[in-house]
Amino acid sequence: MLLSRLATVFAAVTLCRAQISEYFDEKLTVTPLKDGKVASTLAFTTLLKNASPRNVERLHDDDDSQHYTLFPLALGQILREYGVTEMHLTLNAGKWNYDSWGHPVEPGVGTGAELWAWIGDGALSTVDARWKGLRNALAGLFCSSLGALDELRTTSPTEVFQPEGSLPSSTPHQLRHASHPSEHVCTENLTPFVKLLPCKASAGLATLLNPHRLFDANWHGMGVHVLWHEDEGVEVRLTFQTVSDPLRNYQARKQDWSFESLFGRKVERACPAARSSIVEVSLPQDSPYNLSPEPTLAEKDVAWFDIQPASKPVDISMSYMPDFNPGLAARLAKPSTPLSVQRTLKESSQAHGQLSVVLKNHESYPIQAVYLETMPWIVQFYLHTLTATLDGHPYTSAFSNLSYIPAVPHSRPSTFHVLLSIPANSTLKVTMDVTKAFLRYTEHPPDAQRGWDLPPAIIAPLNLDTNRMYTPTLLVDLATPDFSMPYNVIIFTCTLLAFLFGNVFNLLTRKFVVVSLKPAPSSTIKED
Amino acid sequence: MSSSYSSPLLRLGVVLPALTVLKLSAHLAGVSDVLLHDHQLSSPLTSFSQLQEGLYLFRHGIDPYNGGTFRHSPLLLALFSSVLPSSKVFMATLLALCDAVAAWALVRTWRARQNVPSSARDGLVAAAYLLNPYNFLPSLALSTSPLESALLLLAVMFASQKKAAPSLLSLAFLSHLTPNAILFLPPLLLLLLTDPHSHLASPQKISFKRHKVLPLAVEFLLYVGVLTVASTLVAGNLNWVAQTWGTWYAFTLPDLTPNVGMWWYFFTEMFDHFRPFFLMVFSVHLLIYVAPLCIKFQHDPLYALFILTGILATFKAYPTLADMGLFLSMISIFPETFPYLRFPIVTSLLHLHSALLLPLFHHLWLTQGTGNANFYYASTLVFACSNGAAILDCLFAGLRIAVGKEVDGYEVVQE
Repeated sequence: MLLSRLATVFAAVTLCRAQISEYFDEKLTVTPLKDGKVASTLAFTTLLKNASPRNVERLHDDDDSQHYTLFPLALGQILREYGVTEMHLTLNAGKWNYDSWGHPVEPGVGTGAELWAWIGDGALSTVDARWKGLRNALAGLFCSSLGALDELRTTSPTEVFQPEGSLPSSTPHQLRHASHPSEHVCTENLTPFVKLLPCKASAGLATLLNPHRLFDANWHGMGVHVLWHEDEGVEVRLTFQTVSDPLRNYQARKQDWSFESLFGRKVERACPAARSSIVEVSLPQDSPYNLSPEPTLAEKDVAWFDIQPASKPVDISMSYMPDFNPGLAARLAKPSTPLSVQRTLKESSQAHGQLSVVLKNHESYPIQAVYLETMPWIVQFYLHTLTATLDGHPYTSAFSNLSYIPAVPHSRPSTFHVLLSIPANSTLKVTMDVTKAFLRYTEHPPDAQRGWDLPPAIIAPLNLDTNRMYTPTLLVDLATPDFSMPYNVIIFTCTLLAFLFGNVFNLLTRKFVVVSLKPAPSSTIKED
Repeated sequence: MSSSYSSPLLRLGVVLPALTVLKLSAHLAGVSDVLLHDHQLSSPLTSFSQLQEGLYLFRHGIDPYNGGTFRHSPLLLALFSSVLPSSKVFMATLLALCDAVAAWALVRTWRARQNVPSSARDGLVAAAYLLNPYNFLPSLALSTSPLESALLLLAVMFASQKKAAPSLLSLAFLSHLTPNAILFLPPLLLLLLTDPHSHLASPQKISFKRHKVLPLAVEFLLYVGVLTVASTLVAGNLNWVAQTWGTWYAFTLPDLTPNVGMWWYFFTEMFDHFRPFFLMVFSVHLLIYVAPLCIKFQHDPLYALFILTGILATFKAYPTLADMGLFLSMISIFPETFPYLRFPIVTSLLHLHSALLLPLFHHLWLTQGTGNANFYYASTLVFACSNGAAILDCLFAGLRIAVGKEVDGYEVVQE
């Protein structure tokens, strides 16, 4: 006890002398949703004050030694090694239902793995080489197969993925974005995530990271976000979002929740390294409830709890009086988001299909939204068949600012970027014919008949104050060759080729002669 | 042989317009929409949807050759974006006219071969080209392969009439659409320097002015160079070379869409380690037929060209039915070989067999899902067999005719 106090004092003194100070904040946001589920977001932010990203032009020189106390060393080493200024990695499982759950606290909710980074240009090694190094290093750090985010899935959609922090103005930066929708998330990814926190999972809000309950949730996703704020410093934000279903666990049809029911744990100790430890609870507006313990600060629709001075163990719980009635709530309530999106792929044959996106505007003013599609080369667009119908009638002024980078077969995905205008209170349907590729034998995955996951499309509204939205992933069924046949096919084709070649050259190189059948006058008999 | 079909219905002036109108009405009846995406009738290099896609990108300022799947020549881009509209109706009309031009060129070649201003068989020759389903179905499917057939037949017609410049220009245009057409240059040059008349029955060593070969070849290369420069101006940069010609000769074969040829499934099932070797083998395999054919048929270069058409149709990388249709229709200008064909019935039945199986198995594999790729591959093997049978029979007949009819007490053998 005395030793830990001495260590904290020594660390504080050291940090003050170095002029780079580190601050760690943790925050939990709990929001009851209108269909009875509870969305909770844990955010752990470490700020390395007055630090700046590594100068990219001197990347080949040895780096200055970095001394971190709270900032995760493994992550910092990776970022400085590859000259990365801003990085966002999300590993999500499930489909985020915008219509019922509204917008998430952290916007990156695309299924599977999504990694995007702003990397400085101008070093001896190219941006692509450092992007590859970053992917593989993060794959090793988080035990996930991020190395699969190779050139088959990497694009550069700069208009939609603008940097959330600042970029140093002295070097130009390039964006690399890759998405792998079939990446599975499991406790193997959570363990290194927890290791990046100062208090690990033993103190503070991080004790709520119980993998048994987190990965049992209807939707869960973890995120690692690294930003640089010019006047603040380098910020690392580790997030974990879940959407849990309290109705699953209770016999009674009540949407009561508590830390014990959501996470299976309570906060036993406060993290001494944390500058602040806050729990923010959104209060329901349409039904009576009971919130315990008493919040530190409460407004009409939000209540805050300060964990550090609170009496331990902390178990915040909310209980409702009436039973949950999903029909009434869902029917009477307005849609949770101004824009609803639904994307489908219609395929009647394994050679062609039709991509269809239906956007519904629930507001009374027109919405301008950027639609971004980064489609792997296996599905190729026919842009000349792009049509839009508004409430069933053809609508010609839906598209503007179309930019398209075609896919390169067996390599780069296609990037399709268009600005859509959706009038008030209407449904816009966008369709485009697609053609499906035929893959080589070695390009098919082991379970070829399952199909390929297509990454989510991203809709970024321009005149709303909401963040970008992700559509669910799609599954496309591609034609497969017979995997048991390579030798047979080679034999058949080569046999036919050799047979025809041989016969043609037989005819071309031999000549016709006329042979007499009459026996020769001499004793020898001519054979024909 | 040729005078029995002299009914007025088969005159050229009746046949050509009638069949063209028939084809146009078939298009207007909606047949094109059904056939548009058929893999037998249009390959990724000749597909109308890809052409429209390239034109759309071109008009919107996006480079169609920056990656992507657009593999048509920039000359077609220039043609359809500036001079001609690219709607389906116009394309159908254009292709019907192309077929009519090709049939007319075939008739003129026939007349030059027979050295007559007109003959009774003209209508029959035109009908053999226009009524061949291997020819009119791809043009109903709005594929650009009828354009290629028309250009080749025009080149042959001009060469038969000893007009070197139009002939080499047509071949240069054709080489821009399909680089394989350069293989037609040697027989075409020989045809220009000799005559198209039938010498199959009386072969003799060729005699032509050797010093005239080089200027003609240089003229051809000049035309190709000018068209290359024009293509580069249209496309804006040199990306088009890798996307169009590179599809054939860069040993990549990027597009494995099923077609009626032998390459696609072979290279689908190939392991990556052996892919470059076999791509090289298949490409060089096409080259080795040119010289022996020209040497063996030096007395009749038109026949060598005809056989080469068939060989390319069977063995090239992205064939469609139109390539074989050209070969089968050209048989009609060599009626002197018909008595010496050994198994015409077998060949035609094999063709019937494969022509019925190909669309059936394609549908079973890709649309219905009850068959797998092997069904379609087997039908392409049957198609290759039928093509091979046709080529071998024509080759045999072309050589056998020199020996003449069988006489009692003697037998003709090969040595």
